[in-house]
Amino acid sequence: MITVKSLFKKYGTNEVLNNINIEFDKGKVYGIVGENGAGKTTLFRCISDLEEYEGEIISNPNPVKNHLGLLLTDPFFFQKITGKEYIQFLCNARNVKIPNIEEKNIFELPLNQYASTYSTGMKKKLALTAILLQGNDFFILDEPFNGVDIQSNIIITEIIHKLKALNKIVVISSHIFSTLSDTCDEIHLLRNGQFIKSVHKTDFHILEAEMKQITIGNKIEKLGLT
Amino acid sequence: MTNRKFQDVGFNPQLAYILLTVLFAGLSIFLFQKTEFAIYIYLLIALTLLGKLSETRRTEFLKICYGDTQLKKIRIIENLIYSIPFFAFLLYKHLIVYAGLLWLLTTILALVNFRTTLNFTIWTPFSKRPFEFMTGFRNSFYILFAAYALTIIAVLINNFNLGVFSMLLVFVTILSYYSKPENEYFVWVHNQNPKVFLLNKIKTALLFSSSIVLPIVLILAIFIPQNIGIILFFFLVALTFLISVIVVKYAAYPDEINITQGIFLALCIWFPPILIILIPFFFKKSENRLSRLLK
Repeated sequence: MITVKSLFKKYGTNEVLNNINIEFDKGKVYGIVGENGAGKTTLFRCISDLEEYEGEIISNPNPVKNHLGLLLTDPFFFQKITGKEYIQFLCNARNVKIPNIEEKNIFELPLNQYASTYSTGMKKKLALTAILLQGNDFFILDEPFNGVDIQSNIIITEIIHKLKALNKIVVISSHIFSTLSDTCDEIHLLRNGQFIKSVHKTDFHILEAEMKQITIGNKIEKLGLT
Repeated sequence: MTNRKFQDVGFNPQLAYILLTVLFAGLSIFLFQKTEFAIYIYLLIALTLLGKLSETRRTEFLKICYGDTQLKKIRIIENLIYSIPFFAFLLYKHLIVYAGLLWLLTTILALVNFRTTLNFTIWTPFSKRPFEFMTGFRNSFYILFAAYALTIIAVLINNFNLGVFSMLLVFVTILSYYSKPENEYFVWVHNQNPKVFLLNKIKTALLFSSSIVLPIVLILAIFIPQNIGIILFFFLVALTFLISVIVVKYAAYPDEINITQGIFLALCIWFPPILIILIPFFFKKSENRLSRLLK
């Protein structure tokens, strides 16, 4: 379980996160939604201990970062590292031995090619494969569906269901509501660094309708399309 | 852009250029004193550095901005400007033919472009333990093979200094593997505390660098056995220096090594016993710097 209590984060005078309180339980999938700049990635970086913050994050096991698979929105790769070597590197970092990496290549990536030559979607799939093979208990997936083809989206959705069944904690952010409604148990709406709404699966359709109403409003009419 | 880089690390650009000129002249004199093959090594270094300017994507960008004719002019001028230090030194050494050859090759090089990143994957013996030696080997394998070739030449012509030079060339190449700080994700991802992380980095560096340098050491020790003491001295000092570069790198992390730390390293080259104090000092500093990312 991970508990975030009274979390604040500022960059200079710019307050990015403002009194965040949330609890993540085992065997549950959480969705975090919000506009660009709402603070999703900063929240993930704070939970991961990549950022310093004010407040408290309590986790079991502790420290959470050593059991966390973090998929970044835009994964970074070294020049001249192959897909296979990238997976090897991330597994070495957690002392995990994978005898046959090719066997685990469910996205059928060209593992012997340099990862820097991969497309955006392939890079995301490679980074996801690597953190899955690390054997983590907790996953933060920052826009896992972004840039990924439909077939792989289906696989990723199934992977998330499997992680839930294995009693792992999964936190996802996505800009595609359907991907969250397919996978999440709870969705939390982040705006200006604060959670302004939290809903359970039964009320996802209400949240989606509300978001549509707030987001679209009469903006399309303003375009005056004819 | 270069000026900005100097300013970013708190260095006066004019002073930096003066120091670089002195360093360049010093290294050139050293090279020409140490081996009769210096001229070939010198031309190779100059053309390798200039080759970076012929990178396809860079050339394409310039072509889009300036068009075909202008591009050729720009490329020739920038290649000639970059080769001025080498050209001037060759003139100073009265190697006029080689200076002319350098400018001819420089001009030809300006008219071609090639990918500095190859599309095929270069095999590396270090793929099981990414990443420094693995990516470093792929970037510099030709220098390593050139160093092996120099070692063989050193034995054939019984030039011990050239042999030592080739060993040090390998070490300098290996040091460059640790010159840039990696993205913080690749430190954060380790489930080790800073001390274990640093010790593992040092262990890997010592093991892999020894395996690269060992053929040179063995060849020199077998064929020029009377100097085995000097060979081992340089070998051990270079390994110790490698440790110091690693701890200094992480003492500055996630920033690049700064001028003060660079001066400390330069002092170690001048007087290696300082390493005994410097390594534990920077190891402690590295632990502190890494404690934000590693628990």
